[in-house]
Amino acid sequence: MLKMTHLSKVYRTEVVETYALRDFNIDVKEGEFVAVMGPSGSGKTTFLTIAGLLESFSGGEYRLDNVDVSGLNDNARSKIRNEKIGFVFQSFNLIPDLNVHDNVEVPLRYRGMKSSEREQRIMQSLERVGLASRARHYPAELSGGQQQRVAIARALAGTPRLLLADEPTGNLDTQMARGVMELLEDIHREGATIVMVTHDPELATRAQRSVHIIDGQAVDIAEDPRFHARTAAAGDRI
Amino acid sequence: MKLHPILAALRRHKAGVVLIGLQIALTLAIVCNAIFIIGQRIQRIQRPTGMDENNLFMISQLWVGAPTGDDQGSTDKLDAMQRTDVQILRNLPDVQSAIAINSLPLINSSWTTGIGMKPAQERETAHAALYFGDEQMIPALGLKLIAGRNFNVGEIQHMGARGHNRPPIVIVTRTLADKLFPKGDALGKTIYVDRDTPSTIIGVVARMQVPSVDSWARDFTYSSVLIPTRLDANFSRYVVRAKTGRLDAAMKESRAALFAANPMRVIDDEDGVKSFSDIRANAYKADRGMAILMGVICVILLAVTGAGIVGLTSFWVGQRHKQIGVRRALGARKVDILRYFQTENLLIAGGGAIAGILLAVGLNLWLMQHYEMDRMPVLYVLAGVAVVLALGQASVFVPARRAANVPPVVATRTV
Repeated sequence: MLKMTHLSKVYRTEVVETYALRDFNIDVKEGEFVAVMGPSGSGKTTFLTIAGLLESFSGGEYRLDNVDVSGLNDNARSKIRNEKIGFVFQSFNLIPDLNVHDNVEVPLRYRGMKSSEREQRIMQSLERVGLASRARHYPAELSGGQQQRVAIARALAGTPRLLLADEPTGNLDTQMARGVMELLEDIHREGATIVMVTHDPELATRAQRSVHIIDGQAVDIAEDPRFHARTAAAGDRI
Repeated sequence: MKLHPILAALRRHKAGVVLIGLQIALTLAIVCNAIFIIGQRIQRIQRPTGMDENNLFMISQLWVGAPTGDDQGSTDKLDAMQRTDVQILRNLPDVQSAIAINSLPLINSSWTTGIGMKPAQERETAHAALYFGDEQMIPALGLKLIAGRNFNVGEIQHMGARGHNRPPIVIVTRTLADKLFPKGDALGKTIYVDRDTPSTIIGVVARMQVPSVDSWARDFTYSSVLIPTRLDANFSRYVVRAKTGRLDAAMKESRAALFAANPMRVIDDEDGVKSFSDIRANAYKADRGMAILMGVICVILLAVTGAGIVGLTSFWVGQRHKQIGVRRALGARKVDILRYFQTENLLIAGGGAIAGILLAVGLNLWLMQHYEMDRMPVLYVLAGVAVVLALGQASVFVPARRAANVPPVVATRTV
């Protein structure tokens, strides 16, 4: 479903080159629920933005749903984002000028879908997240948890092949976070492929597997000597 | 592009929308009326006098120590002096023809009178300007005789400037003839230029504008009567037609020849000898000034409105930077973002234009009531609407393109 091979992302200035991702490899199978973890600055968000075609990469290969995305132009990337990818952002990113119904409708409008089909999908996805009764409310009239549910409904309405979640519970209290996670688990059980970036090890355990990003590379914690060295040092201090 | 989400977003930014809509409405109202005024002024400036104006110039002069013209003897002397001057001018090598005349179109010095159909008529049938000259008047001015005949030499009279005007025959303009005799049978008919003396119409000229370009003369702009009489006074005007291409030379040699014949006269250095093109330019100076002023106002208003749209849209693009990134992340193409802002502007400008149409018509009605303005044709309003809509689209393009270039990755940034 999502396969990156020897992928790199370099930010260049006149004096310095900074690798956000270097020789990065990951393979997410269809129907998997993968948690991506790592310390701040490790490259988690860069991975997510490249995975979501929000940003281009510098080298290597990225195949999404078996399509090599490296040579796609802006319009083609927009079309894939619209049709195959659903986003759930940490800060919800609802459009404050639009009510819940219209927010969920945004990606469907860009798909050029018929009004009747849009209405059906909007109501189905709002019912799915338990907010059908709030369709005419504006984001400012909802709690954080409800806003994130609307964002999930917006992502689900387009029936994406891949759901990318960037710290989906980062701005929520524990109770709300639990509700959102249960929702994501339900969605996964229904067959969706989910890649979730998180800081929270407890949340990561809810995924089928975890991928750790350290210094711009996906590593297997069990085998990576750097991780062991740090763990050993911490153990010595104890 | 569906309008509902754009309208929903605009409803939440009422102040900016109302302000820019109002600005567009005011601009439309003022620009429509200003362009209409400009059009009218240009039409006034370009209207023909009826004369062949090329190679024509006028000499205005004052005798020094001349007879008073109060009695027949002194009037005869003045007439002789004037005829001598005209003959001197006619004999110049660069001059084609010359006449003495009391006035000329556009010089704003008029002798006007009421024309009656009966003797001692209480209320005039028409109002007209009088031009006094001899049998050379029509060819020298380049007027077009369309019916009847010109004056004969033997029909030319002369009289003092304060004399009683009793012309037995006259030539009238077509406009006046049609007004007096709507059936088109003016030739040979009698009118009363003087209250008591009948004057027979012996000819009709196509057109001869009255001397005044002021608003009081607008109802009889082309109603003129040619009188076969030389006016004798210590002040005289000569109209000279130079040979083709010899205008400057004829103007110079005319002044010199007149002074050589009789130095006891005053011809103003600046305005004494004036080409008709200068007379025309001077007559319509105010109209030209008004047209330019209105043009400048239009340009400034359109520029300010355009800048207002650029400013507001730029502000909204900045304010919605993250939102634009989110839309891009959700699948919007660059062209979708561009269209969004252009449609949004079209809605605001369209609303402003509707209000502007009402304001424009209201302003025109007010000007009609208070400043003798004509009714503005609908075409001007429609053209104004097209201009403000095009201005809106052009103004919004640059900030909208900037919005379209917001990258989708902005959606993931927290600041």
